[in-house]
Amino acid sequence: MFHNTKCDCGHQNPTGTTLCESCGKPLIDDDGSDLLEMRYDGMARRSQKSNPSILDKVWNFFSSVKIAVYIILVTLVASAVGTIYPQENTFLDMDPAQYYEQNYGTLGTIYYKLGFSHTFNSWWFITLLFMIGTSLVICSLDRVLPLYKALSKQQIRKHENFLTRQKVTYTGPLPEQAEAEAWTSLMASLLRKKHYRVHTDGTALLAEKYRFSRWGPYINHIGLIIFLLGVLMRSIPGWHMDQYMGLLEGETKQIPHTSYYIKNEKFNLELYEDKDLPESIKEKGQIVPKTYETQAVLYHCTANCDDNAAEPVLEEVHRADILVNHPLDYKGLQAYQFDYKSSPMLISVKPTLSNPRTGESFGSFDLPMNNPKDEYVVGPYKLKLKGYFPDFGLDDKGQPISKSNEPKAPAFIFNITGPNLAASGEPYMYFPRQIDKEAYSQDQINGAIAQKLNIAVGSMEGVQFAQYTTYLNIRVDKAMPYIWVGAAIFMIGVIMGFYWQHRRIWLRIDDNKLTLGAHTNKNWFGLRNEVAAAMAKNAIDISPKLLDKGGKQE
Amino acid sequence: MGARKKWVQMTIFAIVLVIGVFTIMTNLSASDSKKYPQVGDKAPDFSLVGLDGKTHKLSDYKGKPVLVNFWGTFCPPCKEEMPDLQKQYDKWGKDIVFLEVNVDKNKVTVQGFMDQYSLNLPVLLDAKEEVRKMYGVMDYPTTFFINPDGKVEVKKIGQMTESFIDQTISQMAALKKS
Repeated sequence: MFHNTKCDCGHQNPTGTTLCESCGKPLIDDDGSDLLEMRYDGMARRSQKSNPSILDKVWNFFSSVKIAVYIILVTLVASAVGTIYPQENTFLDMDPAQYYEQNYGTLGTIYYKLGFSHTFNSWWFITLLFMIGTSLVICSLDRVLPLYKALSKQQIRKHENFLTRQKVTYTGPLPEQAEAEAWTSLMASLLRKKHYRVHTDGTALLAEKYRFSRWGPYINHIGLIIFLLGVLMRSIPGWHMDQYMGLLEGETKQIPHTSYYIKNEKFNLELYEDKDLPESIKEKGQIVPKTYETQAVLYHCTANCDDNAAEPVLEEVHRADILVNHPLDYKGLQAYQFDYKSSPMLISVKPTLSNPRTGESFGSFDLPMNNPKDEYVVGPYKLKLKGYFPDFGLDDKGQPISKSNEPKAPAFIFNITGPNLAASGEPYMYFPRQIDKEAYSQDQINGAIAQKLNIAVGSMEGVQFAQYTTYLNIRVDKAMPYIWVGAAIFMIGVIMGFYWQHRRIWLRIDDNKLTLGAHTNKNWFGLRNEVAAAMAKNAIDISPKLLDKGGKQE
Repeated sequence: MGARKKWVQMTIFAIVLVIGVFTIMTNLSASDSKKYPQVGDKAPDFSLVGLDGKTHKLSDYKGKPVLVNFWGTFCPPCKEEMPDLQKQYDKWGKDIVFLEVNVDKNKVTVQGFMDQYSLNLPVLLDAKEEVRKMYGVMDYPTTFFINPDGKVEVKKIGQMTESFIDQTISQMAALKKS
């Protein structure tokens, strides 16, 4: 059964059209006097087809603004839940399975099991964002295409019913001695002065201005889509990294998941002097840092990068001083100064091997606290490293142990071979720190060999010391430019839609009767004023209020 | 006209679907890699150099039950359980693979420790702590009992008694036979 969509004016409209595309006559409820629904100028939208196929049903789902609002609300609630407990990706080195249960009990376990511990990377959250994106695309397409069609081919002469059922309308006789066509052309020039684009057709007129503002919402949706795509692009491998590293002065570490290595060459800290501090802080004895920076070196691994057995071969690619808010930046890889802590640690010493009785020196050697060599040759002597305790101590049974993995109290045990010593070598225990040497009575431990040989650091020369550990935030964010572009386009769309309004004025004169209708998307007050002002200059004096929803003559 | 519109509709949906599948897939795979192995999960493969100077991979021992014990010379409970582990190694060493993953920074410290306490368990050196981080080990000692299929059977955090080690190994050995 065919539904007749042919208008009185002769134009054939697609199914679902509510106002005739040609003359504007209302196709449904044509006897009523209610205000017309002017959305999209009454054009048929894709989502309003009858007999929807599966494809249409999916389209209809995503083109619904109501559904979009629900999706956004669900995303909002989910985001809020994701902020209740710290998220997994903020952990430096903790097992999530234990963390939530240990710290937050049952609620924590539920939180973890439901997947909220990684809310913002979970598949369902990304799906929600993705649905928002799809909805943006489909909602916009569903509406912008018919709107564009409607606005690009507008008829000048509209049906009287169309004009009288507008929100701004006037019906009344022409002024005395006014001639229809002359009156219309005067109206046209008056409106042109107000920046309207006017088209006339005999005694009918269409004046329109600022149509571009109607595209504002669609432009800002495009901006949002680009923004969302930018956010989703962060999932591309290599596009996003946000991790933290702690480096002792002099230490070089690999940046995880990359082939780059970073070295903390030196950390400089400058404190405010007492004279610059307020009393309250001086009293508490607090220290206040003035500036601190890391002199960093970035290396790229060229060989042996994944080999556990061999040392990686590094090539220096960049050097920078990292200050707070002034990161190291190399091809998008950034290292920000995040934090520091005081961590005095011996790095290496250069002890001398000598004869304690004669004072004869045999030479010196570089002894690092990390990865010392297996053997050192000093003069005629060979020092073979048999044992090393980075943090020397004695357990409850009096046996030597290392209390930690850091060189806080290093102790080396050498087996020395050479002149005047046993053929199989003699053991020698060496404590680089004077305080340990005394505490553990190094000379007593060594016994007889202490009379023949002495390993000691003569002066502070050759002693390398680290004072600080620097904490850096290593970041990569290749998607940022796209996100900025999306945000900029969004702003442009907002400004377009906000600061200008699309206004249209139609009028026709039939037998000395003037029928006028006008429409805008916002600021009806301004529109009425403008219409009344133009009419006044054309010898029809009415107050703007009269134009509102009806122009019944008093 | 209607046919062309339908074609446009389908293209838009196709693009949307492709992007959708892509984002969900990358997110699923990204979140997997962050997960630390728990009981029932597959034990991640690793490659480390041992005290013996040779490179050992976990996958080398597929088909045999493996005991992976994370420890350090500076950890007193690790020291306590070492003699027990040594005895169990003497007992089960032919059927079960023992891998002592050590996190000390210096090889000589580990060798010295092994000599000091007359231990000959196989030790793997993880000075950079890469494997420790991969397995999500926070406390020492932590032990993973891995069954012949490569899945984590038991995860024990803390010092083990000899009977615990014995029982757990017996259970795993029984599984292998069935």
